[in-house]
Amino acid sequence: MFRKVFFLGLTVGITTALTAYVYNRVYIFALEVNFSKIVNTGSIIGVSFAVSMIIAILYWFMKRWLKQKGEIVFNFTLTILSFAAIYLPVSISLPLDISNPELFMGLVVPMLFFPALGWHTLKPLFIRE
Amino acid sequence: MKRLMYPVAALVVIAGSAFTTVKFQDWKIGEDYSIKFSSEDPSGVFKGLKGTVVFDDKNLAASKFDVTVDVASINTGNGMKNTHAKSAKWFDAEKYPMIKFSSSAITAEANGYVAKGTLEIHGVAKEFSMPFTFTQKDAGGVFNASFDINRMDFKINTEEPAHGAAVVKVDISVPVSKN
Repeated sequence: MFRKVFFLGLTVGITTALTAYVYNRVYIFALEVNFSKIVNTGSIIGVSFAVSMIIAILYWFMKRWLKQKGEIVFNFTLTILSFAAIYLPVSISLPLDISNPELFMGLVVPMLFFPALGWHTLKPLFIRE
Repeated sequence: MKRLMYPVAALVVIAGSAFTTVKFQDWKIGEDYSIKFSSEDPSGVFKGLKGTVVFDDKNLAASKFDVTVDVASINTGNGMKNTHAKSAKWFDAEKYPMIKFSSSAITAEANGYVAKGTLEIHGVAKEFSMPFTFTQKDAGGVFNASFDINRMDFKINTEEPAHGAAVVKVDISVPVSKN
């Protein structure tokens, strides 16, 4: 079971990183902003894989702990955590040499939902109930 | 010969008057200036410093600062705070787009100088004394100033005195070059 969950987490990490990278490039091109001190290829890859693996472990843990109800509780938890994560870009203060910090939320908030979207999209390919 | 005396005298007066003109040292503001403000909450920077800086430590009577800062250039590092700071509740950048300081007298003190003048923020003009130092380097120099400002004195969000700090520390560093 954990093997499947692990590879699902890994694939979600790759998908999330790719999607976030493309979105970051499009956002920079469209709005001519530069948040590369915070959001860059390295941080996108690192955060995408870390978050996806945490999601995978959380899923495995809930399935083992709560059995059949685990799926429901996990889905709610993932959605709630994704929304709650909006607090991070809202509250963060960027280095003062970065201009247009008001556009930072537009870059980061959509990215917060990429792991959950990736998980729900790819899960049926790895785990069939 | 007598006919030439008065035209020559007039020329002498004109030529002589040229030497009575005092050469004031005016400075060009460098682009890497910084205007920082700090408190428990919030902290940030302003950009958009413009104006004239005339300063000669040997002729303080002729020295004068007349500068403005663009309120909309405020950057706290947080987009939401920037928007709030520019709103009508705080600086009201649309109605009062500039912070202005115009000196009326500059005097030498033990640790530097003091520029006395009028500081206008949020449409409220007040007499203000700004202590500063000047360090001359080659063909340029750096002005440094550090002082406190109480936003209540300038009627900035007086309805919420406890919302953010009332007193903020301002640190200014302005490199200049000779014009």
